[in-house]
Amino acid sequence: MRIKVLINDFKASILTWKRSKGTLFWTIAFPIILILIFGAIFSGQSVEYDIHINDLDNSQHSHQLISIMNETGVLKPHTVDITSNITAYMKNEDIARLLEIPKGYGQALEAALSGSTSPITLTYYFDPSEQSSSSIVRSIISDMLQRLNLQYTQGRTLVELKDESTITEEFGFIDFFIPGMIGFTIMQSCIYGSIERNTKFRKDGILRKLLTTPITRSEWIFSKMLFMLFLSFISTILIGIVGWLVWGVSIHVTPLMIIIIIATSFLFSGMGMLIGRFVKEEETADTAGGAISFPMMFLAGTFFPLDQMPEALQTFARVLPLYYVNEGLRNAMIYMKFNDALINTFAVLIFAAVFFIAGVVLTKWHED
Amino acid sequence: MQLRLQCPHCGHIESYDGTPGTRIVVSCLSCGQQGQISFPFNHETAGVPAIEVSNLKKQYGTLTAVNGISFTVQQGEIFAFLGPNGAGKTTTVEMIESIRKPTQGQVKILGKDINTSFDEIKHRIGILPQEFKSFERLTVRETLEYFSVLYDKSADIDEILKAMDLVDQRKKLYGNLSGGLKQRVGVAISLVNDPDIVFLDEPTTGLDPKARREVWQVIANLRNRGKTVFLTTHYMEEAEYLADHIAIIHKGNIIAEGSLDDLISRYGKGNVLRIRNCSTQDAIETLRINGFDVISEGNGDIAIPINYKERVLEILSQLRHDCIEYDSIDIRRSNLEEVFLTLT
Repeated sequence: MRIKVLINDFKASILTWKRSKGTLFWTIAFPIILILIFGAIFSGQSVEYDIHINDLDNSQHSHQLISIMNETGVLKPHTVDITSNITAYMKNEDIARLLEIPKGYGQALEAALSGSTSPITLTYYFDPSEQSSSSIVRSIISDMLQRLNLQYTQGRTLVELKDESTITEEFGFIDFFIPGMIGFTIMQSCIYGSIERNTKFRKDGILRKLLTTPITRSEWIFSKMLFMLFLSFISTILIGIVGWLVWGVSIHVTPLMIIIIIATSFLFSGMGMLIGRFVKEEETADTAGGAISFPMMFLAGTFFPLDQMPEALQTFARVLPLYYVNEGLRNAMIYMKFNDALINTFAVLIFAAVFFIAGVVLTKWHED
Repeated sequence: MQLRLQCPHCGHIESYDGTPGTRIVVSCLSCGQQGQISFPFNHETAGVPAIEVSNLKKQYGTLTAVNGISFTVQQGEIFAFLGPNGAGKTTTVEMIESIRKPTQGQVKILGKDINTSFDEIKHRIGILPQEFKSFERLTVRETLEYFSVLYDKSADIDEILKAMDLVDQRKKLYGNLSGGLKQRVGVAISLVNDPDIVFLDEPTTGLDPKARREVWQVIANLRNRGKTVFLTTHYMEEAEYLADHIAIIHKGNIIAEGSLDDLISRYGKGNVLRIRNCSTQDAIETLRINGFDVISEGNGDIAIPINYKERVLEILSQLRHDCIEYDSIDIRRSNLEEVFLTLT
């Protein structure tokens, strides 16, 4: 492999990229606009949320509270019995929200009926990385407890709610959204970049011309991947800077984050090659790229947490490569959940190997 | 070695002898203009045909696109490969360029088999593919530099820009150029490695007559620089203007091959003298009596096939002698288009 050829092709790709207003918009301006818009209009959705209950009181009143939760149709309570460290338990069992009803809850309500007010506190444990759904669930429980206070003490505080985050840092929707936007932007640039090389360059005779020059297939692929990596890191840096400057997002640059970005570039470049292999016309290939990338963008938890979607879609999302990219980037660069990030990275690497190898092997470099 | 060159000023064709690798100053024997000629330097391939195609065949299922064709292109000549659309021209040239794999047959370029030596051959050929469009957002100069870096040996970009008359366009983006200029850049790209053989696949398709003429001049200059040109075209006028050697392919077979004069003399209908608006019956009688083959074309026009220009004077003398009036005369020369239409 000749370095001068790689540098030459890389330089030509950069020049071409920076002179294309459309490409600059889609790779830089579009993701930034989306971050600003979505960051400003964040809102939840009406769906069913799981809530785990650690009922230490185990009384008629605590059972009644769980039953009321169930009747809301929005909360889906699951009873657990935890005596040790709740935060560790939640992490191990991958539980996002848990309400602990303390011992004495029933007694406090009974006492209130007889005129004696002795406040009692329920603790709400939540995973801030699922901030959107956690805050919705919290507001529902608060509302229920306010009604309870009104019923037992005419509004004086009898039962109150205390928050406990499973992670020490506080996260918002934008912390969830920024890594998703990075994954989405890399996916778009790599898929469409590959499609352009495999359809437009073929139609324009550039591939035929290159076949008759001394450039090798590996030099061509390697230089193009070098450019795609450059674009991926440029997008990541810009999105990160905007997220930090405008929304105060704290991004940690970790080795896993870098591995995921590299693997994602290979993954979606391979996917673009496959699309270009089977759909010859440039316009049709663009449409095919959109037909694959846009549903994936919505279903893989780029904009909204997966747990807000119906169960069937959640299951489907787990076969989509972008889901592991998004989750991996969140865990590796924001939430710092190393074990989860490692699993996501492994999944992204497998997808990258499969798609990139298939793309290179199946792409037709010569004519029939 | 000998180079057969066309004067860029008056179009006169002349052969010049010289030593490979040297450059000489010559004067045109017709118009007297002076110019320089370079004789390609390569002892190894001196005297070896530029391209040898033997029994080349391409089969797609039951369809035979190219049916076992053979031909040879000599160094320093412009070889025009003619044929109607779908005749197998591009399939053939892409097999020679190693873009398509032949079903059978052998191709040698400068004496080397493309199956075993194409990596080496790549450095000695330059190719303009059919309907080629380069990177739209690179300038002309950047485009030439991009392709030149791919080769171990490259020509001087400034010289190419000058030779292709692209100096004024060098800073313009390729995507903003006219069709004619894009084709000129395409030819220029094929020269960045200073190749011995240049393949041009339909280089003027889709161009207006002026742009086409400009590209022709560029191609003619390639021959003047000692390059071998393999030109694929379906424009007869283009082949007539440029080619030293012509092969016509039809339905996958070479149906005729030779120089322009060879083809016209073998397959043309000869020259025809046309006399317009004359007293038809009197003229036909007079000329037939004197041994001429006369054809009435209606509306008072007659046509007389002639093989020698002396016969024209005889015919005109006869008409004057018999006091037969006419409006005008013209002589239509047999051309490649006529040969092509006859054969295909």
